[in-house]
Amino acid sequence: MKIGMISFAHMHASSYAACLNELDGVEIAGIYNENKNVGQSLTQKFGGKFYSNYNDLLAESPDAVIICSANSDHKEHVIAAAKAGCKHILCEKPISTNIEDAKEMIDQCDENGAKLGIAFPCRYIPAVMEARKSLEENAIGKILAAKTTNHGTMPGGWFVQKEKSGGGAVMDHTPHVVDLLRWFMDSDPVEVYAESGTLFYDMDIDDAGLLTIQFDNGVFATLDTSWSRTKSFPTWGDVTMELIGMEGVISIDAFAQDIDLYSDINVKASWEYWGDNMDSGLIKDFITSVEDPDKNFPITGEDGLKALEVAIAAYKSAEVNKPVKIS
Amino acid sequence: MLKIGIIGAGTMGGMHADCFSEIDGAEVIAVADAREEAAKNVASKYSARTFTNGDDIIALDDVDIVDICLPTPFHKENVLKVAAAGKHVFCEKPIARNLQDGKEMIDACNKAGVKFMVGHVLRYFHEFSAAKNLIDSGAVGKPGVVRTTRAAGHPQGWSNWYANMEMAGGVVLDMIIHDFDFLRWCFGEVERVYAKGLAYSGIPNVDYALVTIRFKSGVIAHVEGSWAHPRGFFVTLEVAGDGGLFEFDSRTSSPLKVSKKSSDSGEGGVEVPQNPVNESPYTMELRHFIQSVAEDKEPEVTGEDALRALEIALAALQSIKTGEPMQFPLI
Ligand SMILES: NC(=O)c1ccc[n+]([C@@H]2O[C@H](COP(=O)([O-])OP(=O)(O)OC[C@H]3O[C@@H](n4cnc5c(N)ncnc54)[C@H](O)[C@@H]3O)[C@@H](O)[C@H]2O)c1
Repeated sequence: MKIGMISFAHMHASSYAACLNELDGVEIAGIYNENKNVGQSLTQKFGGKFYSNYNDLLAESPDAVIICSANSDHKEHVIAAAKAGCKHILCEKPISTNIEDAKEMIDQCDENGAKLGIAFPCRYIPAVMEARKSLEENAIGKILAAKTTNHGTMPGGWFVQKEKSGGGAVMDHTPHVVDLLRWFMDSDPVEVYAESGTLFYDMDIDDAGLLTIQFDNGVFATLDTSWSRTKSFPTWGDVTMELIGMEGVISIDAFAQDIDLYSDINVKASWEYWGDNMDSGLIKDFITSVEDPDKNFPITGEDGLKALEVAIAAYKSAEVNKPVKIS
Repeated sequence: MLKIGIIGAGTMGGMHADCFSEIDGAEVIAVADAREEAAKNVASKYSARTFTNGDDIIALDDVDIVDICLPTPFHKENVLKVAAAGKHVFCEKPIARNLQDGKEMIDACNKAGVKFMVGHVLRYFHEFSAAKNLIDSGAVGKPGVVRTTRAAGHPQGWSNWYANMEMAGGVVLDMIIHDFDFLRWCFGEVERVYAKGLAYSGIPNVDYALVTIRFKSGVIAHVEGSWAHPRGFFVTLEVAGDGGLFEFDSRTSSPLKVSKKSSDSGEGGVEVPQNPVNESPYTMELRHFIQSVAEDKEPEVTGEDALRALEIALAALQSIKTGEPMQFPLI
């Protein structure tokens, strides 16, 4: 199987490429990257041919493409892949920077018979999968509320350029957890209230966000998206979810499988993760869906859109200081 | 020697009596509770007199200070009576069930020239005063996003008054008002409050709330209050600023844990985390009030502070009811 990778602008691309390399019968056929030098060294590391024009890569008819460009370039790259006849596309989250683009991407993929998947690797964290199973088994009764966080470190680069990213901490860290909540509850967000701001860094983009999301099943949830983890913090960030049910509470701290390290090399404590690599679960599942026409990749463009809608509503809400409905 | 009368001999009244016994210059001489047994139990430990009606304590000539440990809706009437009798008054939090009552209480105490302090005891908890010191020292730079959690099972009180929204105001008005006061103490005045919660859900003996507070300083605070957690009481606090971050979790900062084999099932028993300190925060709080009275100084936690904490709690409840954010000030 031949996979094309379009852009490594998002750092997750390297992890996805490494996961692809671990799979038998899967080969990275080509890599396109905006920066030629970086792109060439990537092909040395992960294999495949370097392309300075992604259309040339698409012309080679890879079985699937993985797109990890800057958020605002997702649309161009996804639509080009669909139009070039690529049948399986995995696009990094958020699906795009605005709802119109996301819808157009979904439509174009439909029209061209391409299956669009969105990279929400958190669905493949074992603790998250177990939690979902517990919920299916009704372990805590009816869910009443959820308290969640997706904290991070300020990533810099294009993530803090609004025209490339579409937004800061809220855009970056809303989609994962919203997707998990939707997946857990089989319910959609209907209203969002948010406070957001630039509270940590001297820049023109939000680095703090606190969302309150109302779901159509009556559950309310909060989500802290802030890039509030300092340079001295022992790890990059977190994904935590606490689900309050009629009969109990489920708490997830998705990356808690770690060892506390105090090394004089860094003169800083660090939490060394030893849990399973969620990206490899994601990539395996994607490849399975490429191999087997009967298996659909479970995370669709529609899922990407639903998660994006919450981020967009959050920005609106933070601007008007009122809750904003999602239609 | 300052002579103290306690009205309300439930959980707090009994505990306050113990605290006063550790404070030089203070002596509990009378305890009142509608349940005579309860009053007697507390009074007998300290050879105090027992009453079934708080008015009788207020009327005692030799009582200098009255400590109100009654359910929230009875705070106002009693504080007004104490002030009218020219005695100093300590009142458990929340100051009152509504802002109007709280204001009247403050005014009455001011007019009578008596000292008035409300039990926002969090300011005396070692971990919270240490946190405030860290913030003030600049350890985290300019504070940005703050998160607090206060979680427990549903509290038990006299005739289940905690389950009555009209009386106790649920987890928002009764419990996380502690955090509201602490946050206001650290980060100043509030701009806006938005909240979701189960206060009006009609689900019995459960309450839960997630409150967002935007401060005028720009700080965003997330306050979780739970009477829905099946395991024991715990609190957490995280302050992230532009130059640092600190976090505290009572579940992991406990220096002593006692685990017993449970006798009936033979399975692993309950673990009770303990946090021993030389002087309990409640004693420190009451000692401060005794000092304020003795030295004729304004207490650190003013009626106005208590009213502002109540304002945040009421705004959160109103937001839960209406689904709209509340702009400050409400009054
Ligand atoms: N600071 C804190 O950490 C803290 C903790 C718990 C409670 N509180 C507050 O303290 C106050 C008391 O709470 P509690 O948990 O002790 O309640 P409780 O139910 O344990 O005790 C209340 C007592 O008041 C008595 N009582 C009721 N009505 C009376 C009346 N009209 N006259 C005389 N006695 C009467 C009851 O018999 C009972 O003994 C409340 O305002 C509560 O919010 C503060």
